[in-house]
Amino acid sequence: MKIKTAIAGLICLLILTSGLFAQNKDENISPQRKQAIDSLALEKVRDLSKYISIIGDKATPWSEAQRVIERAVELFMENSEIGVSSLSRPDVAYYKVREYFDRLMKLNYDKVNIEWYKIQYVSDLERQPDGTYVGVITIYQRFQGFDKEKGLIYEDTTKKDITVYVKRKETQIGGRLIGFWDVLLGDIRVKETSK
Amino acid sequence: MSGIVKKIRSLQWQHFVFIMLIAGVAMISDGCKTSGKLSKKERKAQIENAKKELSAIINGTSTKSLEAQERTVNEIAGKNYKDPELDKMIVEARQVLKKAFAERDKQKQEKIDAAKAQLLDMLLNQDNKSADELEAELAKIKAMNLNDKEVNDLIARVEQKIAGMRSKKNVPLKTQLENSFQGIADAAKAGNMSQVSALTQSTLQLFTSDDATVLIIISREGSLVDYDKPTTIKRYLEFIRDQKANRNAVDNYLLEGGKIKELDLIKK
Repeated sequence: MKIKTAIAGLICLLILTSGLFAQNKDENISPQRKQAIDSLALEKVRDLSKYISIIGDKATPWSEAQRVIERAVELFMENSEIGVSSLSRPDVAYYKVREYFDRLMKLNYDKVNIEWYKIQYVSDLERQPDGTYVGVITIYQRFQGFDKEKGLIYEDTTKKDITVYVKRKETQIGGRLIGFWDVLLGDIRVKETSK
Repeated sequence: MSGIVKKIRSLQWQHFVFIMLIAGVAMISDGCKTSGKLSKKERKAQIENAKKELSAIINGTSTKSLEAQERTVNEIAGKNYKDPELDKMIVEARQVLKKAFAERDKQKQEKIDAAKAQLLDMLLNQDNKSADELEAELAKIKAMNLNDKEVNDLIARVEQKIAGMRSKKNVPLKTQLENSFQGIADAAKAGNMSQVSALTQSTLQLFTSDDATVLIIISREGSLVDYDKPTTIKRYLEFIRDQKANRNAVDNYLLEGGKIKELDLIKK
């Protein structure tokens, strides 16, 4: 009886320790892997900045803008919001991602230039209890609106914070188990707007 | 002497006249032959033969080519038999031949038009045919011997395309892919959207489908490989176009039937 109890205890111990090791494997990722994940999340924000300039560009055909909107929306978590500010009003309006892009496409200017720069982490990716890595990336957006006759009629610079969520997932592709990092963007909050 | 005179007297004059007549007929008939004149019998036989040939032409049962049939009709007409029925048949045969020539020209034009359309399709190669498949199709068109300038020009262009495809085949697939990706990024940057489209189409032809999987390796530590979210080749090419940048190198690929089924890229 004692032997049976000892074997059962040993098995339990093995299961527990293997679970712990598995958890450690996920928790303790090497600096090289962590750097790759950091870069991946930054890259997604850069991708978004290109999509925003394509959608805002009046020269982009409607169908092309719609395709790019789809790609841009896919970068976000569901129900995420994007803040919009203006030098002419103190408050910030928040729109659901798709609505934001639709409005961006229809802005009442003859030409629009949108440029994102100084894209960097303001808060590093930190592992949460559920295994998701969460961080905040800040960007500066330079917006310019042009009129055909009057030229540049509006411009501002906005500092925005973007929450990023990164989670490791697995999928089967052609019989292979693929481990990938799913990067999703959350809300984009306006921090300050200046001329 | 008196014996000879007796013998002459003993000859019957009727026999002599008969022999002379036969000799005369024989001489006349031989004379006709050398002067080219036909006997009635021969003329009749020739006319019958001509009618037979013309009937075959009129009924469309002649096994001769149209050109040979035309020569036959002209030869018969040239002999000028002055046979009303035969003359009528000559007119009818000429009408039949004229119609047949027109029909043949029409059919040839139809073949030329079809060949041109097929050759243009081959140049576009939207069905993504291999160089061998295109060559087999081209051989069939060449075998038609259409002898049309436009068709010949198109044949030369398709031959050039096939040669190009074969020489491209010698470039490693990895290089072809990386050249295409860089080409799309450069063309998008330069705003040359027609080149972006052309390169996108030709690159997609290297894959089993637009939905072929593309995996991007972001980190590799021994056997532990981290990927970006899986995508498809169509989406990946659109991504290069949108971002106007080629950030990844080809790491590996999996072929199926000579085309890429799965592509692994790695961050540069």
